[in-house]
Amino acid sequence: MTEVIVVSEGNLARSIEVQPGQRKDMVLLILPGVSCDLKMDVTLAGEGAEANIYGAYVCGCDEKVRIAVDMHHDHPHCNSRQLFKGIAGGTSKVDFYGKIIVAQDAQKTEAYQENHNILLSDGAKVDTKPQLEIYADDVKCSHGATIGRLNEEEQFYMRSRGISLEDAKVLQMISFIAPVLENIPDESQREAMASEIESQIRNIIR
Amino acid sequence: MSKDILDNITEKEYEHGFVTNVEQEFIPKGLNEDIIRLISAKKDEPEWMLEFRLEAFRRWQKMPLPQWAHLDIPEIDFQDIIYYAAPKKDEDRPKEIDPELEKTFDKLGIPLHERKALAGVAVDAVFDSVSVTTTFRSALAEKGIIFCSFSEAVREHPDLVRKYLASVVPVGDNFYSALNSAVFSDGSFVYIPKGVRCPMELSSYFRINAAGTGQFERTLIVADEGSYVSYMEGCTAPMRDENQLHAAVVEIIVEKDAEVKYSTVQNWYPGDAEGKGGIFNFVTKRGICKGSGSHLSWTQVETGSAITWKYPSTILKGDNSSSEFYSVAVTNNFQQADTGTKMIHIGRNTRSRIVSKGISAGRSQNSYRGLVKMLPGADNARNFSQCDSLLIGDRCGAHTFPYIENANRTAVVEHEATTSKISEDQLFYCNQRGIGPEEAVGLIVNGYAREVLSKLPMEFAVEAQKLLQVSLEGSVG
Repeated sequence: MTEVIVVSEGNLARSIEVQPGQRKDMVLLILPGVSCDLKMDVTLAGEGAEANIYGAYVCGCDEKVRIAVDMHHDHPHCNSRQLFKGIAGGTSKVDFYGKIIVAQDAQKTEAYQENHNILLSDGAKVDTKPQLEIYADDVKCSHGATIGRLNEEEQFYMRSRGISLEDAKVLQMISFIAPVLENIPDESQREAMASEIESQIRNIIR
Repeated sequence: MSKDILDNITEKEYEHGFVTNVEQEFIPKGLNEDIIRLISAKKDEPEWMLEFRLEAFRRWQKMPLPQWAHLDIPEIDFQDIIYYAAPKKDEDRPKEIDPELEKTFDKLGIPLHERKALAGVAVDAVFDSVSVTTTFRSALAEKGIIFCSFSEAVREHPDLVRKYLASVVPVGDNFYSALNSAVFSDGSFVYIPKGVRCPMELSSYFRINAAGTGQFERTLIVADEGSYVSYMEGCTAPMRDENQLHAAVVEIIVEKDAEVKYSTVQNWYPGDAEGKGGIFNFVTKRGICKGSGSHLSWTQVETGSAITWKYPSTILKGDNSSSEFYSVAVTNNFQQADTGTKMIHIGRNTRSRIVSKGISAGRSQNSYRGLVKMLPGADNARNFSQCDSLLIGDRCGAHTFPYIENANRTAVVEHEATTSKISEDQLFYCNQRGIGPEEAVGLIVNGYAREVLSKLPMEFAVEAQKLLQVSLEGSVG
């Protein structure tokens, strides 16, 4: 069962323990206008546990968004995946921190973490600290982080086909966030969220 | 099966662990203003240099020890260290090099006589707290290049030293740079004049010999407009049960359109298989790409030291300037390393690239720690970082701690990191083709580190490859 949380203003701290053989999926959404401090502490508490955490954030004015995820792999044969994608415009400030900790006994771990960001304005700032702390050798672990801008060549491609610059940007941003939204299993909920985010994005770039 | 092979590969003796028996003079143990005055007097320094040291010492006393690294550092008693040790000059032959010292450097593969030396490499040899000799000085002087020991530069080129000293690493930058500024002994000074391409590789070799001492070298490299220099640094120390402190500061200034290539092969004594002894290598290295179009490249192969704490960094101030950082860090037994780089983008169109390869074996801990910072003025700046870790054995750790900060809409930063081990399949593939297990691991490790090793000057590349194999000997399992 996937838990979908639309994060509201303020602090949110969650401590999650995934039991052996169990799986926990989570989608976190942070919409424009919401400043928040999010702390997630996930422990894979036995063999075969799996955790997938997806997050998207869209900031357009002066939000301050902090996200911190600690992923503890204490046992063998556990998998985790984290995917966080976000857009920062206006004078917003995003801080991302994510750590994968693989204990000595946690062999055959597979843990992945990605954090991708797009900066829309000169006033926005993104800091990201993806970290790996690994004490076991037979593991597959990786992380990736990028901070970039909207691709101008893509915009040119769309504009030369009659799509306005504004629409092109909206399309780019929606497709950037889409890999996170895809993980909402309920179709109607997914579509509702997608259209909500689309209208919010339109507000930002207007 | 493969476990034993890995075990075997990471066990090999440190071959530079001998001690040279040479008469040395020491100053008393401990650190206070009198000691600093004594060091300064020993080196015949002008008043401004002494003031600089005392100021640094006063600041150092107020500074806390850095605790943020992923390292377990035993308490260091700074009053239990001898801050200056030098081989005694033979009174009959004051101009000549002590034959014992010459033998030492010969044994380390660093001939001090120009006729025997490798053509194309000029060496500054530093033994404990003093520079023994600098080769090829006259040949370099013809082109206007200054390459000499730091003490000499203070006496003979005070204007240059005063202009650039502490301009990149301020005295109060961190605990160990402040300590170094107070007690630094010797190191190299390099100045390449405008438009000159240095015709040979410049190199410094640092040797710790005396027991109970620390080495605090200071290196300053200035590349004036449009010049080029490639500088290499090597180091070794005897095998001892005590930990010895090495706290160096390296500053590099790269002016407009100049290029500096800085390579290190760090092979301090790493301690024995039980983690006893070894050098604490706490080093501050930083360069500034001051002018537009300047370029600074760092290449390091870190195989030695019980604890390494080292972040060669670049400040990209000039527009269109660029910097690279290539690193291979190998830790074995109980070694600990926390190393990486900082790329600080200030100017427009600045570019940087980071490639870091960590290899941990035995019970060692190996961390990459890096900062990429894009300031608001760094339009169209670009960074790419790649940090890979290879684990050999299940008792070691490999960690990655990148810090990425971007405050410019047009700047693009990418970082990726992976962690893996040498797989049974790879070993099996090699074995099947008649390549022995140890050789196979060497082959795989060298292939893994190739991207970095290929950046080293030729003289170093061969040594570095051998060093990798030696460092890992006995770790394959």
